Amino acid sequence: MLATQRKTPLAWKNLTHDWRRLAVALAGIAFAVLLMFTQVGFQNALFDSQVKIIDDMRGDIFLVSRAKYTLAAEKRFPLALVERAAGVPGVTGAYPLYSELTLSRLKNMTPGRRSKAFPIRSIGFHLNQPVFRNRDLNDQLGKLRVRGTALLDRHSRRANFDFPLDDDEALAASPAELANQRIDLVGTFSLGTDFAHDGNLVMSAETFADHFPQRKQFGDPLSVVDLGIVEIDDPAKLQDIRDRLDAIIDDSVFVLTRDAFREQEVNFWHTSTPIGIVFLAGKVIGFIVGMVICYQVIYSDIADHMPEFATLKAMGYSRGYFIKLIVGEAVLLALLGFIPGSIVSYGLYHALAGATGLLMRMSVPSASLVLVLTLAMCIGSGLLAVRKLLSADPASLF
Amino acid sequence: MAVTSPFPATSGMFADGAQLPKTVKVHGINHYFGEGELRTQALFDNFLEVRRGEIVIMTGPSGSGKTTLLTLIGTLRTVCEGSLLVLGNELNGASRDQVNRLRQELGFIFQAHNLFGSLTAYQNVNMACELVGMERKESDRRIRMLLERLGLGERIDYKPDSLSGGQKQRVAVARGLVHNPKIVLADEPTAALDKESGREVVTLFQEMATDHGCTVIMVTHDSRILDVADRIVKMEGGRIKTDSAVQETSVICEFLQQFPLFSSLTPTTLTEVADMMRVETAEQGDTIIRQHDPGELFYLIRTGSVDVLVDDGKQTRKVAQLKEGQYFGEAALIRDEPRNATIVAREHCVFYTLGKADFTRTLERAASFREEIQQALFSRS
Repeated sequence: MLATQRKTPLAWKNLTHDWRRLAVALAGIAFAVLLMFTQVGFQNALFDSQVKIIDDMRGDIFLVSRAKYTLAAEKRFPLALVERAAGVPGVTGAYPLYSELTLSRLKNMTPGRRSKAFPIRSIGFHLNQPVFRNRDLNDQLGKLRVRGTALLDRHSRRANFDFPLDDDEALAASPAELANQRIDLVGTFSLGTDFAHDGNLVMSAETFADHFPQRKQFGDPLSVVDLGIVEIDDPAKLQDIRDRLDAIIDDSVFVLTRDAFREQEVNFWHTSTPIGIVFLAGKVIGFIVGMVICYQVIYSDIADHMPEFATLKAMGYSRGYFIKLIVGEAVLLALLGFIPGSIVSYGLYHALAGATGLLMRMSVPSASLVLVLTLAMCIGSGLLAVRKLLSADPASLF
Repeated sequence: MAVTSPFPATSGMFADGAQLPKTVKVHGINHYFGEGELRTQALFDNFLEVRRGEIVIMTGPSGSGKTTLLTLIGTLRTVCEGSLLVLGNELNGASRDQVNRLRQELGFIFQAHNLFGSLTAYQNVNMACELVGMERKESDRRIRMLLERLGLGERIDYKPDSLSGGQKQRVAVARGLVHNPKIVLADEPTAALDKESGREVVTLFQEMATDHGCTVIMVTHDSRILDVADRIVKMEGGRIKTDSAVQETSVICEFLQQFPLFSSLTPTTLTEVADMMRVETAEQGDTIIRQHDPGELFYLIRTGSVDVLVDDGKQTRKVAQLKEGQYFGEAALIRDEPRNATIVAREHCVFYTLGKADFTRTLERAASFREEIQQALFSRS
C-alpha cells in the first residue's frame, strides 16, 4: 500500500497537464452526463406523475378491479366489496373513490370563448371520508357541500381549461359545464397531470352522481366504484390484513398494498407503452455520445504521447501498468465530468419542473445510476483506446 | 584439425589473460523486415560478443543495420534467426514476461528525449526507479546526484517545457542510468549536447563501466567521444565489417610491424590489415599447414607455440620452433609456391590469419610506399 502511494500519479499528471484540454474534455463528458440525467429525470418525472394520485391518497391497502390494468382504465367493481372490507378486523375504514373520464368533459362557458368541451378526470368521494392527503384540498371540503360545485386542479392544461386560477371569486363567476350540466368551480387544488389526464376536478359523491347518471346503466351510479381505499390500525400488520382481505374479497378484485399498487402502475407504463423504450433509447444515445467523447479524449492523449509510452515500454513497464494507467485516467475523467454534469442537471431539473409541472427530482438512486453509467462509459472507451497504447513500438524510438 | 572462428582477430575474443564474462552474445543473427515478397534481409549472419564493463561504439552509414542490431540486443525487436544472449537470457523465443524483466536491467537513451511533459525532471527520472522498486532514499539520492552531475541541479523540479533541448537530453540520460542498469544502450546520446556536457555524459558512462561493470553500447557519429571506446564495431550493408577491440588491435599492429615486409606500413594501414585477419585455433598435435600443399594463408601466432618440420625426401626434421608474436606461411604466398614446411601445434594455439589476396595487396602497398619514399629521397638530393 505504501509503495503504491509513492508512485508518480502519471494518469493525474497527464490529465491535468493541459488545463484547456482538460476543460474541453470535462465539458464533453459533463454534456453526456447531462443527456443521461435529462433522460432519467424525464422518465422518473413521467412515472412519478402517473402515480402522483396514489402518492396523494390516504390508505394503506387498495382495492382495484382485476381488469383495471392502469388507473386510466375505467374498470369498476361493486361498492358492496368496499363495505365488506370495512368489516374485516384491523381495518379502520374503507372508502370508495369514484372517477370518470369518458363522460367527463368540461366546457368553459365564458362568453366569447370557443365552446368546446375537453376531457377532464372527475374524482368523487364522500366528503365525510376525505381520501386525499392534500391539505389545500381538505381545507376546502366545506365548499363542496353545495351540490353542483367542484374544485379544479391548478395544473390542468391551460390550453384546454383556461380559467382564472389565482382568483377564487373570478373563478366562481366563470360559467362552466361538466357533461353538459352547469358546474360551479369554487376553488383550486393541486394534483398534477399525467399521460392520460389533462386535468382534474374533485367533487362530492352526490355532485358526481348528478353529473354522471349514465355511469351505471340501471341503478345507482354510486354503486360501482373505481377504487377502494382501506385504512388499517397497525402498519406492522399490513401484510396480514391484506391477506385477510384478499381471502374474503372475490377474485375479480386485486387487494394491493400501497407499494404494490404503485409498482403495478409504473410497471404498466414502463413495459406496456413505448415510454420505457423511448427513454432507454435516450439513455443509450447519451451513453454513446459520452463514450465517443471520452474515447476521443483518451485516444488523443495516448496518440500525443506515443514516444513517451514507448519509452516506458522499453524501460520494462508491462501491459498491466498501461491498462491500469488508462483505466485510472478514465475513472478520473468520469468523476471530474460527473460533478459539473450533475450540477448543471440539477439546475435544469429545477427549470424544467417550473416550466412543465412535471416532478423532476434528482434522487440518490437515479444519480447513482447516472454515475455508474458515466464510469462504465469512460472505462469502456478507455479500454478501447488502450489498444492504441499497447501497439506502441519501442523499436521505433531508435 | 584447426578450427576457423567466425570472430575477427581484432575482436580480442582469443586474447590472453582473464576474460571478463560476456554480457551480450550475438551468434549468427539474421534479421528480416516485411512479409512475403516484400521481405528484405536487414542483418546477415552477425557475430558479436561484448564483455562486462566494455564500452562499445557502433558506427556505419545509415541503413547499415547498426540500429536494428541495437534494438535486437535491447529486446525491442523479436529475434528472427540465430541466437542472442543478453545477460544470459536467450532472446530468441523469449516470453513477454522474460523480456519485461530483462528490460528492467537495461538502460535506454534515445536520440529523442521522450520525456513526459506533465512530469518534472525529477519525476521523469523517478519513473525508472519506481519500476525496479528502488528504495525511496536511494532513488532520491541517485536522481539528485545524476541531475547535479549533468548540470541540472537548479532545474530538478522544472518540467520539460522550461528546459532547453540539451537539458532535456541530459534528463533522458539520467533516466537511462539511474537504476544502475547492467547494459546501457544509447543512440547518439551526445548529439544534442555541447562539448562539456557531452564529455560529462561519456565520463558517467566510463564510471558506470569501471565501477559497476556496466556494458555500454552506443551508436554515435560524434568523433569527440571515440576515445572512450573499448571496442569499435563498424557495420555496412547489414554485416559487421570490423569488430576491433582497441587493446587487441594495437597488439596485432605491434606484431605485424615486426614482420620486415610490413615494417614500413603506417599505423592506419596496419589497423586495416589487422581488421582483415581472422582467427584459427588448434590443439596440441594439430597440423596447421602441410608441406607441398598450396599456400592460402599467412599466420601470426597469438598464443601458443608450433614446430616447423621439413621433409627432405628421406626423413622429417624439426628445423625450428616458433612462439607467440612470430609468423609463418609467408614464403608460399610471396613466391606463389607450395608450402615448404609442415607446421604442427605444440599446445593449444590461437593464430591470426590473413588471406592470400589480402596479403599480396598489402605487400604491394608496402612496396609502393617504399618506392614513394625512395623517390622522395631521390628528388631531394
